[in-house]
Amino acid sequence: MSNSVIGSKKKRMTKKTLIYLILIGGSLIILSPVWWMIATSLKTPQEIAQYPPSFWPDSFRFSNYLETWQTAPFTRWTLNTLLISALSTIGSVLANAFIAYGFAVIKFKGRNLLFGIVMATMLIPGFVTLVPQYIIFAKIGWVNTYLPLIVPSFLGSAFFIFLIRQFMRTIPKDMVEAAKMDGANHFQIWWQIILPQIKPALITVAIFSFNGSWNDLLGPLLYLNDENLYTLQIGLQTFKGTVSTQWNYLMAMSTTVLLPIILLFFYFQRYFIEGSNLTGGQKF
Amino acid sequence: MKKWLLIVCAGLLALLSACSSGSADNTNAEGKVELDFWTFWGSETRRPMIEKLIEDFNNSQDEIVVKHTYVPWGDIWTKNLAAIAAGDPPDVIVNDIRTVKIRASNNQVEDISKWVDDDLKNSFYPHLWDAVTYKDKAYALPFTTDTRMLFYNKDAFREAGLDPEKPPRTWKELKEYSDKLTVKNEDGGYKQVGYYPNWGNFTTHDWMINADDGKGLMEGGEPTINTPAKKEAIQWMYDWKQELGSEAVQNMKAEFGNEQQDPFISGKVAMWAEIGTFYKQLEEFGGDLDYGVATMPAYNEDTKPWSTGGGFVMEIPKGAKNPEASMKFIKYLTDVEAQTYWGENNFDNIANKEATKQITENLDGKGAEIFQKSMESLEYTYLSITPPEYPEYENLVNPLIDDALNGKISVEEALDQAQKDVENSKQ
Amino acid sequence: MSGIKEHNVAISTTQRKSVHKSKSSDWTVRKPKMSKLSLKENIWGYIFIAPWIIGFLGLTLGPLLFSLVTSFTDYNVTSQMNFTGFDNYKRMFTVDPLFWTSLYNTVYFVVFSVPLTTAGAVIVAMLLNQKMKGIKVFRTIYYLPAVLSGVAVYFLWMQLLSPSTGLVNTVLAWFGIDGPAWLFEPEWTKPALVMMKMWSVGGGMLLYLAVMQGVPKAMYEAAELDGAGSIRKFFHITLPMITPIIFFDMVTSTIGAFQIFQEAYVMTDSGEGGPSNSLLFYNLHMWNNAFEIFNMGYASAMAWVLFIIVMILTFLHFKFSKKWVYYESGDHK
Repeated sequence: MSNSVIGSKKKRMTKKTLIYLILIGGSLIILSPVWWMIATSLKTPQEIAQYPPSFWPDSFRFSNYLETWQTAPFTRWTLNTLLISALSTIGSVLANAFIAYGFAVIKFKGRNLLFGIVMATMLIPGFVTLVPQYIIFAKIGWVNTYLPLIVPSFLGSAFFIFLIRQFMRTIPKDMVEAAKMDGANHFQIWWQIILPQIKPALITVAIFSFNGSWNDLLGPLLYLNDENLYTLQIGLQTFKGTVSTQWNYLMAMSTTVLLPIILLFFYFQRYFIEGSNLTGGQKF
Repeated sequence: MKKWLLIVCAGLLALLSACSSGSADNTNAEGKVELDFWTFWGSETRRPMIEKLIEDFNNSQDEIVVKHTYVPWGDIWTKNLAAIAAGDPPDVIVNDIRTVKIRASNNQVEDISKWVDDDLKNSFYPHLWDAVTYKDKAYALPFTTDTRMLFYNKDAFREAGLDPEKPPRTWKELKEYSDKLTVKNEDGGYKQVGYYPNWGNFTTHDWMINADDGKGLMEGGEPTINTPAKKEAIQWMYDWKQELGSEAVQNMKAEFGNEQQDPFISGKVAMWAEIGTFYKQLEEFGGDLDYGVATMPAYNEDTKPWSTGGGFVMEIPKGAKNPEASMKFIKYLTDVEAQTYWGENNFDNIANKEATKQITENLDGKGAEIFQKSMESLEYTYLSITPPEYPEYENLVNPLIDDALNGKISVEEALDQAQKDVENSKQ
Repeated sequence: MSGIKEHNVAISTTQRKSVHKSKSSDWTVRKPKMSKLSLKENIWGYIFIAPWIIGFLGLTLGPLLFSLVTSFTDYNVTSQMNFTGFDNYKRMFTVDPLFWTSLYNTVYFVVFSVPLTTAGAVIVAMLLNQKMKGIKVFRTIYYLPAVLSGVAVYFLWMQLLSPSTGLVNTVLAWFGIDGPAWLFEPEWTKPALVMMKMWSVGGGMLLYLAVMQGVPKAMYEAAELDGAGSIRKFFHITLPMITPIIFFDMVTSTIGAFQIFQEAYVMTDSGEGGPSNSLLFYNLHMWNNAFEIFNMGYASAMAWVLFIIVMILTFLHFKFSKKWVYYESGDHK
């Protein structure tokens, strides 16, 4: 008895070590490009132009970061980007969870056809609708405002509707039925029963959509004409010149731009852990 | 939950303020005409220069106020197109000189002929003027241009026993020089390569034009791709590649493809084709590199040292609200004073002849030497204009040339096929 | 709430039963007599999808139909739009050699990238779905590539893939492999891009991680009591439970892979197509037509051909999904 316990403990230890080794190996692969980015952001332009490129910067020029920040109104652009991303993330999570519930849980006439259309909207490349869509927004006077960048998030997107629908369908139907028996309406079921169950999925949508609008270049670029309204991604482009690129600045800014998303991701992860701890005892 | 509400409210407020600032009228409070001017000059170096020019213009008169908006390179034209389609384009935009005719044929630019007289026309280089006209009407004014030249490393010349004051003049010399300048490592790799025709800023198309005595891939609006001289140019490149070893060539091209390391500055390649503004990079990163500059070598003693170039124009997008005021601003930008300022500070070749003359008088030292050379080179610079009938010819020709250089098909076949494909693609 | 949770404990038995139960209560069965209940359900259904309907009618439908109409014209975005019948479609299939090149390149990319990235994401998610010290840090690291975007990433990859000094070939050299010139050799450009995609499986990983949180611990515990090892647990519990998301991932990444654009656009000097046009993907060719030479009519036609191709594939995905996707809710439509 005690022997087998020790044996399985040992087994678990070797398994853990193996997983750590794999994870560390993978991390190195992933981090190496990131290291190039950071290293370049700390070099002088002269060092960057040297061949072969140096792995370790000769001198760590942290002042690059400060200089980069001062080349343009980056503080303002950061706030702009935060505003757009936060609002469209809220919209995205609420709207898509709402719409997906309709498709996943309620049985209504024409559901399959409409869901087919939802899927179909994903299949047409955005280029060909880019100009007509721009014209629509121009006609309703939304060009040079944040509305074209935010309002569509509140109207759902096929990708997220499909995603949340898939998650909702992993929830046992009996739960919905039981709640209905108790006299709950769909709105209550959605808010009180379904949403808490798919928290990890909602967090995922939040991360994806924040990430998406934080990194969006074409949208802001098309719809914003006033430089005061610009976003970070447009700001990043200023370092890429027609003749030469300011690599150290470009990389410094790219690194800076990464930070908020990484922090957000790190923070949101607690919901993942929580979710997994709770589901074991709670859901069943 | 409360926190969320707060964020949403704050956001909505910010939105409203954004909306209100969005409504811009064409005339401002003081009754001046406001012009929206889009450029892709947002970098630390160029932005202050264009903004200085705008400020000078705004201060020089009291009818027009120009507002500058930076839009990133490349995307600027997508945005412009959408804005034209929506009927709300900027008043003035910087655009590519090689495609003015295409935009004119697609009705994307305003015809400015009525404000153009002979004096204005004659103030620009003729080949640039030709590029901005379509069916005898003018659609833009040329702003800048460029021309490729041969930069060479004088120290490397000395080490190889070559006279640093005598750059190669013909293909034959170029090859001889290159052979002398090519140095191998002990392990068989290259320590330094003299020259390779498909690196740098002067590649397949350019050498084909150079070989064909300044005749482009499109002449009179029709493809002239499979001429004997152009075939010879590709064959010449192919042979050169075989001699250096195609793997080595590919590797080095890949090394420099990321645009970060510069092979000329880091001494890996002794002769390198680039446009005049390369001087700015050499100044900044080149340290004490001793280099010279020459016009591109000619095919032989009897042909001219043909180079190629591009450039930018100022134009008024179709549907802009104040074409007359816009034209005034464009005229100012392409006139002597503004052009002189731009050329001196950016080292772009400029479109205005008089201004070019002034700059050569004002400059001194290395800068003057390079600018002088670029003027010489401009005399034999071919501007590859994309003809409206064959807008995608480059996309058809390039892969076939790649295949020929990779030895997949013969040069003969490649260019004949390219000629045929382009002919078929007529729109 | 607690009542609901309790009566759900034995997923494998009650749930499978409910599959049959729900079949009988399907609205299609009761369609003829539209009861008060189903009317109410209909109304609720439309209330819930109302935001999407507004967006679809207001922002999407018009442009979609417009692009369909323009595919039969010589529309050039700004001034002309003459009806040309099926000319654009004819040209695509008979005259334009680049159409076939771009379709081939795209299909190649789809075939390799979709299965590889899906499998990669599941594996990484499995590894990261552990209770271990530092797992949060690892998760963040693995998600990082999905966060990185824009020009900087592609230039980083050019650096990494550079034949003699790049990291990829340096590592290959340790194993005695002479790496290719990647982005500069027509045969290796697409594999290089697939590799890039593999690098950023973090997005997919996050999806799987999220769905794995919903797999009840009790099931694993029960399996452990039966003496099941990790591999059996994976194939008998985890895998079936995450099939809805695998399905989602396959469908969306197929759609996404068909529309690959950004990577190729940046890496090939603004859409030139790379060596021997080996990176001229479908969307890149479409982009060139639409915004470089203003042949929007042709681009729209291309878009609709792609639409049909991907729609058929998506349809097949959905059809076959019934065979392997396991829905807890017991609903297979």
